[in-house]
Amino acid sequence: MKKLLVAGLFAVCFLVPAFAQEQASAPVKEAASGEAKEFVVYTDKGARDNHYIPSGWMGDYGDIKLNDQSTDNPHSGTTCMQFIYSAKKSQNQGWAGCYWQNPPNNWGSKKGGFDLTGMTKLTFWARGAKGGETLQKVIVGGIKGTYSDTALVETGPIELTDTWKQYTVNLVGKDLSYISGGFGWVSTADLAPEGMTFYVDDVKFEADPTLKPESKKQEAMPFYVYADRSSRNNHYIPSGWMGDFGDIKYDGGWKEDPYLGDTCIKIIYNGKGAQGARWAGIFWQNPANNWGTIDGGFDLSKASKLTFWARGDKGGERIEEFKVGGIMGEFADSDSSVIGPVVLNKEWTQYTIDLKGKDMSYILGGFCWATNIDVNPEGATFYLDEIKFE
Amino acid sequence: MKLSSNKIKSHKDTRAQSHKDTRKRQHWCLCVFVPLVCLVFLLGMASVPKPKVYIQKLKNGHFKLMVERKPYIVKGVCYNPIPIGKNHEYDWWSDPNKPWLVDGKLMKEMGVNTIRVYQPGEDSEAVKRVIRDLYEQYGIRTILGHWLGFWEYPCPLYGDQVFEDRIKKEVLDMVATYKDEPGVLLWILGNENNFSCLGQVNPWSTDEIDKEPDPQKQKVMKARTYYSYVGEITQEIHKIDPDHPVALGNGELIGLEYAKDSCPDVDLVACIIYRGKTFGNLFKSLKVTFDKPLLLSEFGADAYDAYRKKEDQNMQAFFLESQWRQIYGNLANSENGIGNCIGGIMFEWGDEWWKYNQSSPETWSVQDKESNWSNGSYYFDIQAAGNKNMNEEWFGIVALSPEQEFGLDKRIPRKAYYVIREFWKNPVLDDKGKKKGKSK
Repeated sequence: MKKLLVAGLFAVCFLVPAFAQEQASAPVKEAASGEAKEFVVYTDKGARDNHYIPSGWMGDYGDIKLNDQSTDNPHSGTTCMQFIYSAKKSQNQGWAGCYWQNPPNNWGSKKGGFDLTGMTKLTFWARGAKGGETLQKVIVGGIKGTYSDTALVETGPIELTDTWKQYTVNLVGKDLSYISGGFGWVSTADLAPEGMTFYVDDVKFEADPTLKPESKKQEAMPFYVYADRSSRNNHYIPSGWMGDFGDIKYDGGWKEDPYLGDTCIKIIYNGKGAQGARWAGIFWQNPANNWGTIDGGFDLSKASKLTFWARGDKGGERIEEFKVGGIMGEFADSDSSVIGPVVLNKEWTQYTIDLKGKDMSYILGGFCWATNIDVNPEGATFYLDEIKFE
Repeated sequence: MKLSSNKIKSHKDTRAQSHKDTRKRQHWCLCVFVPLVCLVFLLGMASVPKPKVYIQKLKNGHFKLMVERKPYIVKGVCYNPIPIGKNHEYDWWSDPNKPWLVDGKLMKEMGVNTIRVYQPGEDSEAVKRVIRDLYEQYGIRTILGHWLGFWEYPCPLYGDQVFEDRIKKEVLDMVATYKDEPGVLLWILGNENNFSCLGQVNPWSTDEIDKEPDPQKQKVMKARTYYSYVGEITQEIHKIDPDHPVALGNGELIGLEYAKDSCPDVDLVACIIYRGKTFGNLFKSLKVTFDKPLLLSEFGADAYDAYRKKEDQNMQAFFLESQWRQIYGNLANSENGIGNCIGGIMFEWGDEWWKYNQSSPETWSVQDKESNWSNGSYYFDIQAAGNKNMNEEWFGIVALSPEQEFGLDKRIPRKAYYVIREFWKNPVLDDKGKKKGKSK
């Protein structure tokens, strides 16, 4: 009997975990072999087939509250996830987000994740507490580190409704052989200045053999780089700070005397040479921080010009160049066009970058300005508004 | 009635005779006049011979470089064989060990048919010897260029009559001296001198330009001044040398919208392009802005991974092959290309160990691994410190070794040498089936 007990204990201690381990990796094998039809990220609190954990809080993580067992009208089952984003900029980032990771808190330093080969899309259900809440983007993969994800796919912005709606991220043709960041969302204080509450449920990968690869559609004009601080028509992010980036202060929600709408962009360049480059500038990119390293951007083939309004604080501020495109890298912009130097007026003035004859079929870098100390020894404060392709 | 019938007959006979005479005359005409016309036409043709080298514009708007009446794709390398321990002041043209003979043999085996030198040396006999040796022994032609005073201290004084006259004389002397060398292919005026119009390098101005308060208009005025000057020299060259095309050297396509009006007589544009694996919209953009044939007169990739801090021949070969694929895809009569490209010149044939720290002679005997410029298009090592990933001393298709061979630093072909050799033998434009990215 004692022997039996020892054998039983042995089985519990070693065989069960081993079995469990095999169970955990089983879906991976199934997915790789193309047999599995779906692979769950999250369905319900404590569900056995949840494979990722919402542990990767990013940006202003202090602004996020998560109730992972909300019973407030789940889409299915007994629970859903409730996120409250306060947009108070606790960490002074202006944005926040959450990754579902495997293993938890894995930012690429640990081996984990799953081989999801064979899956062709990720679907999730979401709703806002009031409707109109905007997620800047949702993400699949993209965790980088010693064990980097093999793909990064982003889609957005997504404006939620007050009723449950299913959203899809097309993954056809993507290398899903190692995905430790199963799903993620990001929003910004600009998109939700008053904060927002939203719900997520039934997040899963699916194998849909009928789905075709997503090709970039030619965007309709006008197509905004920047319209207003909270506009979901803003398609590019001012993330590419260059040169003496420490010399720049950026405010995308300046409310005094915008050219149109509620806000404009205020930029203060102090010309102190913080990084010793003697010049500085900002690229508006898609997705954020994309220096040609990932597939992104838009097909703007219908654009024949980019227009924007600008003014200097005093008048006489000199911007060496305003530019569209020109980001290089593995996924390079298909073309570029530049104007400058431009000496700004104190009054709002419209400027145009001519795009006729240019190949605008793939544009990651929607807009850029750059200037330097030599032409602005005292620095420069200037304003931008209504940056759009037409 | 009979008479009349005789008359009629006689008249008929006369008419028949007349017809016969006409036919005879026509026959005579055909036999004598037509060949005569043809002869005159042929003689006329012979009296206006085709230039030795010229650009042919095809009906479809594509451009083809013709050399000795045969199509010629420029498969070139920039050539500046500075030995280890020396710098750009070294007069390699007079090197008693004749490095061009060793290099020319390797080049021929690779498939190189053209070298580009940025400006000939001072000893014209030495220069002629190099051009002849390469052409006679290996069939390799030479493109000669002129800096157009770009590096003169304190700056190139475009718009200044004295400066312009002096430089123009230098260029015309160069053309007069070498135009009859059978190995000369064409002339390139300037290199990336257009960047000086933007004030990015070697800035210059004139009193008239300084009076203009709008910096954008200043830029346009400078571009027009510079390109008009190139146009003026081009016209002069055409007068004394109808046998070789004249190329406008240009950094990227910047400023060419002004060249269109200011120097319409240049025969082609020779662009310096460093855009990584793709030239992007280059060919189409040129077609739209300045519809001239395009020679990629300087492009390439270095063979040092500044991020991982080690030589990476795969990386260089990957970029170069991708670039050649695009060049071939845009030659005349290419199916999907623009058809305005006439070939390319890789930067460069051999490593130059003096380039990183030009003011410290002790570093010229060491191949520096440092970089002093950044280019995101060469993305494999863009994560290097400060994003400085371009290693100026590692651009050679052949590496140099301090080991001596034939009295010279030993040449060691890199992987790119073999990859491009194979590409030229069998240009496969579609990279399907090839591995994505470079192999490690």
